[in-house]
Amino acid sequence: MFVGPRMKRGLVTVTPRATLEEAARLLKAHRIHHLPVVEEGDRLAGIVSDTDLRNATLGGMIGGADRGDSGRPATVGEIMTRDVVTLSPGDTLDDAMLALSQERIGALPVVEGERLVGIVTKADILSALVSTLDIEGLGVRIEVVLPRDVKEVSRLVGALGDLKVGVRSLVLAPHGAGAYAAFVRVATIDVGSLKAQLRVAGFKVPEIAEFLE
Amino acid sequence: MVVDTTLTTGEFGDPLPERDILEGFDRLIAADRLFGAELNPTVIKKSGKGASFLVRRPPSRERMLALWRDLFANRVSPQGLLDALAPEVLGLSHGDGLLLFGKDRVLYDCHIARGDEAVGHLTLCFYREREPVFRFLPFPRRPGRRIVYIEGISLTAQSTGYASSLFRRYERLFHNLGFHRFRLKASLSVGKYYWAKEGFDCEDRKQFAEMRENLHALVRRLGLPVEEQEIRRLNHASMIAAFRRDLAVPIYRNAEGYYAAERDASHGEEFRFPLGKAFLLCSAPWDGFKVIYTDTPRRTGFVWSERFLDHGTRAGHPESPKRLEAIFAAIREGGMRESLIFLEPYLPAMAVLHAVHEPAYLEAFREAAARGDRQFAVRDCSISEGSYEAALLAAGGVMAGIDAVCSDRADNVFCAVRPPGHHAGRASAMGFCFVNNVAAGTRYARSAHGIERVYILDWDVHHGNGTQALFDEDPLTFYCSLHEHPSFCYPGTGRRLEKGAGAGRGATLNIPLAPHAGDREMIEAFEREVVPSIEAFRPELILLSAGFDAHRDDPIAELECTEDVYVHMTRRVLELADRHCGGRVVSVLEGGYCMESLVPSAIAHIRTLQGREVPPCSSARG
Repeated sequence: MFVGPRMKRGLVTVTPRATLEEAARLLKAHRIHHLPVVEEGDRLAGIVSDTDLRNATLGGMIGGADRGDSGRPATVGEIMTRDVVTLSPGDTLDDAMLALSQERIGALPVVEGERLVGIVTKADILSALVSTLDIEGLGVRIEVVLPRDVKEVSRLVGALGDLKVGVRSLVLAPHGAGAYAAFVRVATIDVGSLKAQLRVAGFKVPEIAEFLE
Repeated sequence: MVVDTTLTTGEFGDPLPERDILEGFDRLIAADRLFGAELNPTVIKKSGKGASFLVRRPPSRERMLALWRDLFANRVSPQGLLDALAPEVLGLSHGDGLLLFGKDRVLYDCHIARGDEAVGHLTLCFYREREPVFRFLPFPRRPGRRIVYIEGISLTAQSTGYASSLFRRYERLFHNLGFHRFRLKASLSVGKYYWAKEGFDCEDRKQFAEMRENLHALVRRLGLPVEEQEIRRLNHASMIAAFRRDLAVPIYRNAEGYYAAERDASHGEEFRFPLGKAFLLCSAPWDGFKVIYTDTPRRTGFVWSERFLDHGTRAGHPESPKRLEAIFAAIREGGMRESLIFLEPYLPAMAVLHAVHEPAYLEAFREAAARGDRQFAVRDCSISEGSYEAALLAAGGVMAGIDAVCSDRADNVFCAVRPPGHHAGRASAMGFCFVNNVAAGTRYARSAHGIERVYILDWDVHHGNGTQALFDEDPLTFYCSLHEHPSFCYPGTGRRLEKGAGAGRGATLNIPLAPHAGDREMIEAFEREVVPSIEAFRPELILLSAGFDAHRDDPIAELECTEDVYVHMTRRVLELADRHCGGRVVSVLEGGYCMESLVPSAIAHIRTLQGREVPPCSSARG
């Protein structure tokens, strides 16, 4: 839930004085998209992404801003984003998801005070989702649409227990006004019978689960 | 009405007019070449050159004609049959060829001659088995297999290869005439090795099992370096005949030319022969038969055992013994039994299974079944006492199928086995599966037959996660699966991006189909992706994980295919197998839980394996 355990440590960083070539080489060598820019003592000064580098180098060609003698920026310090959205280790993954989604960015440096301690990227969030939603796990997901009443959820769980179905994961999501959609990942091949039995027990079970719709 | 146009008739085309057959009888009677025969063939006697049978007047024309129609479907005239039965082979010809009509059989008797000199004789008998329609009632009976009974063949001098050449021709002849089997007299004590080598098998399976035991005893007595598994898999007398040619074993001959395995007062002369040959030369006489069965364009083997029904599952469980019972009943009732080569599964040696499963896992499974547990590992895997043996036997069934295509006993094989296998992993039972039959077969093909490149096509509606995981890093085993998309269907694996790992990267191909996809989508994906991948992989053997649960009537998943899709894919797989691996395809039953769709799908699949035309499916509705 907290950013600390999920974030990447042992980061690849650059200084503001590094050249764009050096930065590009690092991105390529480590197959990453973001480089935190640090001063002495791991103090976070900014962040530079592969998009920043591309815009800077292509900038001249498409008539971008005129800079320096050559007309092009030469160091990371010149092109980095200084106004960085950061997290602290005590922030949660929800914070990270909201920030990434609302700011439309790809990575969030994690700082303690001014000191850089890690980074959380979209890829880390995705792997957290994959494990929480048990997307890789064995089983099959079914959807049960329930009236928005916790007693109905309890009735569903009770029914699954009576049917002796192994439940791998259960996600309860809002489903329009007045309803829940329960997405249950069940550990049985015999889904046909299970759906039929749930329908007999009065549950609404669509043929196809509209998970993450 | 469905007309099966693919039954090969060879030189014998449409039935001849009955008038011609009757005239043929008359001409042969006039020429003293057609007689009646005593009803009981054992009464028929013959002694020396020129002696006659115990014959009487031929039966009535109507009786003869009815018999001719039943046995030969009027495809050949009486004179035509005599001519066809007497080819000149290796300088030997037939003299005094006669046809004799008994009550329910026709006999052919002749001398074998080299020029004017008689060097032997041959008696064949043609009849049709009758099988009771109901097991315990004597009546009514329906016509069964057409049999060529080798009443006797003798040659005064050893004429090298004569019988062999003659019977090769006969096999083609009787195939074209629609016969199903050769049978052989019990008392043939000399020539057991010869007949076994020619593909004749032991009629009494209990006796054959004893032979295998005796061979095992001989191996132990002589301390020969032979693995137990090698003997277990011997499933046919021809396999014994060819067994371990590298090991020479001493046997002892008596004055009459009979052999014994141990020296005694009369068996004094020592000979050394290869193990299998030596063993057969000493074995007790057995009734032999050879399947002709080639009245279908391809010879299809059928692995079946009632012991597969011993895997009992709780009431209401979809994977019930009824599945196999229904398939077998359809085969029996549809008259397909005569056209299939029945193959027996065998219990594989544990060492073979340990190439696929953890020993501790199999042991836990054995204990659970022996203890009387009602499920193993997960609730889906319902078991009974017989489950462990049935599961091992199912894997052994695939091995028997592989033996059959590798020894050319069959062109392809359908293994009607259960429990299914493709979800079973190295140490995990799930999705009704315990032992991964196809994976065990793949390993076995490699170790026992030296087959390197195996292509596994899995068209069960579920992804075969067990099989995929077992061969994930194996570049020589290609795993390809067509299944309903894992976001909607058990077991939740088999996404496109799963392509194998390490050296095996690229040797896994997953083709998920959206819910409600039908024949068109399946066939398009098959042609677009599966066909080129088989072409590129150039397999030496193709194994099918043939589940029939992608059918629209099967409740377990949401694909909407019909029998037609199985016919199409089977036909195409055979074409590709012809091109790359001598037509060797071993198909293994996986899922399929709705009898009304499983049975017609499996039957359409088997008929296609036999190379027959299958009419477009009738169950397709709307």
